[in-house]
Amino acid sequence: MIKFDNVSKRYTGGHEALSAISFEIGTGEMAFITGRSGAGKSSLLKLILAMERASTGALFVDGVNINRLSRRQIAQHRRKIGAVFQDHQLLFDRCVFDNVALPLEICGYWPQDARRRVRAALDKVDLLRKERLYPEMLSGGEQQRVGIARAVVNRPSIILADEPTGNLDPDLSADVMNVFQQFRDVGVSLLVASHDISLISNLDCRTITLEAGKITEDYRGGGG
Amino acid sequence: MKSQSSQRSHSNQRRASPSLSTWVQIHRKTALQSWQRLLKTPASSFATVFVIAVGLLLPALLYGVSANLSSVLDNLNGTAQISLFMDNGSTASELRRLSEDLLSDHAISSVALISSEQALEEFSAATGLSDLSQQLSDNPLPATLVVTPVNADPESVATLAARLEGTSHVELVRVDSQWIQRLAAASQLVAVSGQILTIVVVLGLFFIVGNTIRLAIENRRDEITVVKLVGGTDAFAARPFLYSGMYYGLGGGMLATVLQFAIFIGFNSALQDLLQLYESNFHLQGFGFTSSAALVLGGGAIGWLGAVLASFRQIAAISP
Repeated sequence: MIKFDNVSKRYTGGHEALSAISFEIGTGEMAFITGRSGAGKSSLLKLILAMERASTGALFVDGVNINRLSRRQIAQHRRKIGAVFQDHQLLFDRCVFDNVALPLEICGYWPQDARRRVRAALDKVDLLRKERLYPEMLSGGEQQRVGIARAVVNRPSIILADEPTGNLDPDLSADVMNVFQQFRDVGVSLLVASHDISLISNLDCRTITLEAGKITEDYRGGGG
Repeated sequence: MKSQSSQRSHSNQRRASPSLSTWVQIHRKTALQSWQRLLKTPASSFATVFVIAVGLLLPALLYGVSANLSSVLDNLNGTAQISLFMDNGSTASELRRLSEDLLSDHAISSVALISSEQALEEFSAATGLSDLSQQLSDNPLPATLVVTPVNADPESVATLAARLEGTSHVELVRVDSQWIQRLAAASQLVAVSGQILTIVVVLGLFFIVGNTIRLAIENRRDEITVVKLVGGTDAFAARPFLYSGMYYGLGGGMLATVLQFAIFIGFNSALQDLLQLYESNFHLQGFGFTSSAALVLGGGAIGWLGAVLASFRQIAAISP
């Protein structure tokens, strides 16, 4: 589903965030990316979302070379991906419901259909009772879960998550991972950047370790 | 947290491909949101609307003046006359024969003969210099034939006048409608200034709307970023701003109509007082439904287009 082929990312100024990365995530596979901050986790996710372009190498998502996409195709490409951002990226002038509904609105869903889907997604992250609140009335953890609901509402074929449990207590983190595993079980590919070692080791999933832009370890895992 | 079975339960339900009613619903929602956003900042929204209204009002008023001038001209054009001043040697019978000749001309509808005696009497009566005229041994005034042409438009009148120039015993041909032509030229000038002003104003309004929209986009940069991150196209991100631009323009057009109407009422009562002195039954026109609709719709179109021009490049520049 996701294939990195010798991908490097060099920023203007010479800093190389990723150097010659190669790996592949299959359909229905869940993998963690771990490593210290600055190791290149976020850069890697940004490349998949086409927020950045690879300097060299080729990156395929669902068989499509991401480096060759036009502006319009990038928008289409992102609709296949549910992304959870470290800084949540919520709209603060819209209520929780409208935030989660945004991807459906963009795809042109029938509003009644969208309402049902949004409710289902909010139910999964246990925020159904707060759908009329605005993000600033929520705690950091709740905002994080709104972001997760928005990522899954469109039933994407790929879910990318950048530190999705960073603001959550262990119980909620486990719940989020449970939601992710449900998606994996129905064939969604997941790539989760995290340095929550205890959580990762509990799940025993595939874990790719980055260090200074290079893969130092690719643990295949037993459970994923 | 829900189990997996409920998670996929709706997955095969209709996902609205862009059907018309979905499209309408989505647009209605965006339109409503843009409208509510404008109402959140009433003062600055009104300022923009007011500036647009004043901009639209200027050419609209000029068009009104020009339309009224040309309706005045239409009334006056029917009264074009050509005076033929005869030389002193022409006799009464010659004058009669000439006026009969002229009457047979298909371009002439009527001919009136003013003899030199009549002319002197009128002159004396009009000036009160009857003594003077009695003291003159000779009548210095020529006989005159006043010709009313069939076609009253300036061009055919001028052609006819030129043709009459060569008639025997005619010393001088004068077209009495020259001041009408001057008025027509002045009216033309007003119309042309109206057109030029319209172009300038439309360009100016593009800048005003564009600037307002640019500012709004800058204020909502984060939102556009999010929209793009979850797969929104440039057109989707621009849509609310296009609605805002259209609202500004429509609002400006409506306010301009109201202002124009207020000016019309104020000006018309003063004008009717003046016209009463001249016993004229002239009525101001050009401020009807059509011109109001043109003002409102034109304003809306300008607002929308200004927003299109301003937003697309700027929204494209936001690329997360």
